[in-house]
Amino acid sequence: MAAPLHDVAYVAAGGPQPLPSLVSTRKLRSQRLGRTLRLWIPAGFLILLLAMCFLWPLVYQLPSPTNGNIIQAQEAPFSPGHLLGTDQVGVDIFSQIVYGGRVAFEISVAVTLIGMAIGSLIGITAGFFGGWVDAVLSRVLDILIAFPALVLALAIAEGLGPSEFHVILALSAFSIPVFGRVTRGATLVVRELPFMVAARLAGTRRWRVIVRHVLPNIMPGVLSFSLLGLGIVIIIEGALDFLGYGIPPPSASWGSMIANGQQIMTARPEYVLIPSIFLLITVVALNMLGDALRERWGVQ
Amino acid sequence: MALVQQIQLQGGAGARGSARRLAGSPALRLVGRRLLAAIPVLLGVTFLTFAVFNTLPNDTAQAILGLSASPGAVAALNHQLGLDQPFFVQYWHWLSGVLHGNLGTSVQGESVNHELATHLPVTLELLAYALVVSLLLAIIVAVLAARKPNGIVDRTQLAISMLGLSAAPYALAFVLIVIFAVKLQWFPVISGSVGDTPLSFLKAMTLPACAIGFPLFAIYTRLLRGDLVEQMQREDYIVTAKAKGVPPWRVLIRHALRNSMFTLITVVGLNLGTLVGAVAIIETVFTVPGIGQDLLTGISNRDVPLIEGIVLVFALMTVLGNLLADLMYAVLDPRIRYGSSTT
Repeated sequence: MAAPLHDVAYVAAGGPQPLPSLVSTRKLRSQRLGRTLRLWIPAGFLILLLAMCFLWPLVYQLPSPTNGNIIQAQEAPFSPGHLLGTDQVGVDIFSQIVYGGRVAFEISVAVTLIGMAIGSLIGITAGFFGGWVDAVLSRVLDILIAFPALVLALAIAEGLGPSEFHVILALSAFSIPVFGRVTRGATLVVRELPFMVAARLAGTRRWRVIVRHVLPNIMPGVLSFSLLGLGIVIIIEGALDFLGYGIPPPSASWGSMIANGQQIMTARPEYVLIPSIFLLITVVALNMLGDALRERWGVQ
Repeated sequence: MALVQQIQLQGGAGARGSARRLAGSPALRLVGRRLLAAIPVLLGVTFLTFAVFNTLPNDTAQAILGLSASPGAVAALNHQLGLDQPFFVQYWHWLSGVLHGNLGTSVQGESVNHELATHLPVTLELLAYALVVSLLLAIIVAVLAARKPNGIVDRTQLAISMLGLSAAPYALAFVLIVIFAVKLQWFPVISGSVGDTPLSFLKAMTLPACAIGFPLFAIYTRLLRGDLVEQMQREDYIVTAKAKGVPPWRVLIRHALRNSMFTLITVVGLNLGTLVGAVAIIETVFTVPGIGQDLLTGISNRDVPLIEGIVLVFALMTVLGNLLADLMYAVLDPRIRYGSSTT
């Protein structure tokens, strides 16, 4: 009940003092701030880009991304009605960026989801069961990875005709084995952890071990990898468009904008530069977000 | 396990016949096993290519003769090209040809061997140029960055390599063209003729090599820097070296870098085959007469023999790249026990 007694020196020093810290708090705080910024700056850019592609056209009436007025051809950026100007046949560039970005996001998300679902199934099966199952599945993955993705994608687009669905199909054939290999590696690591032995000793059923123990433990790695995957898919999808095998011509896409701009590159370099910059910002944001998530989740 | 025992036995037995030691040499066994494992991959890749181009609606003959050709002429050409035969028979013909060193005839009527012989060296030179320069730069930059993690060099390198990782090769190519060929006029826009002198080669190939090499540089730098920093913080021999009073630079280069090179070598080996897409696009943009450009022409012509030949070359490059990486590992790092690793 009695108030604690303090000696004179303690009271003179002004009461309780913080212990000298081994690590400077200021440094810790700036590190924490750095970590938050590294996560939220790319995330913010992505949110802005997504809003630009999916919400902007709902709020504002954009000029058509496919038809333009030839009289208004080659207008400079920031001219009235055309935020980024118009291209050589008078089509609004900003509108092409918006609708092209939409296609890029749709395709990359679809391809990554398909790759993640089927690839994880193959990878977990191979890693978890091991033995001949692993040997066969790994060999199949090896072949699919050694198979040049671009050849397959071009062959499918060439044979089936260019369309958004065929592009998704073609690129999935390349994302599935990559995800398969990543999840297999992650599963092999998880399999050796003590709680797996405990689960097995406790008589947990196999599928339950997979769903409750393996899956949650490999998820951080797979998710942060899938962000890198999104960026890669956007680049390859652009390559297909660039080569003329992707999204069919009238619709806009960043790759075909670069290919079209190439024709008058010397006179108007911005026709190539504008879509290139949007492509770069998107992929940088995805990669940085992937890095930040990996750092946060402690994934190797 | 048996292999490990055998190796230990060999070590204990000391000097025996050199031929016998060679036959039992772990490195040779490794090569043998890797080459054997490569066969199904090569077969699978070429078979898959055949299968893809055969299941897709096929009108090679129509494409050659034009839309106005009579059905009879189309059928005759199909027969001449062997396209009317069952799919497995076609693959078998191609495969037995390859085993005899004959890659077949392209639908344009040219020998694929000849096509590869003239165009493959160009691609290999371009790749070698891009690889050597990006590796050298990556090693220098990574060492400078690892010297002081989070320092100014490190942060700059981080930003640059993030750009390199995220750059689409075709977009990068055009940005390079706009800056260095159009504005500054240092290099030609089109690299069609390589020329004979080293100078003309450099002039024609520098921009394409930059477009291929910049992303590679980014990957290598990030990887090497990460590995170096980790080693400098964790490994015991680094502590020992520092305690002995070895100067920091020497520790970094002679001790840490030497070990980090292994990781780098593996990634370089693994990456070789995945470059096919970038090579094809860059060669097309700069009109470099290499096999990447041939591949794209082949695909638009449905030229299966030509495509098969090029796919085989790239698949071989992947396999050999992996093998070379393994071998470097085995030769350079005595800690590695051959046979015990299964991957």
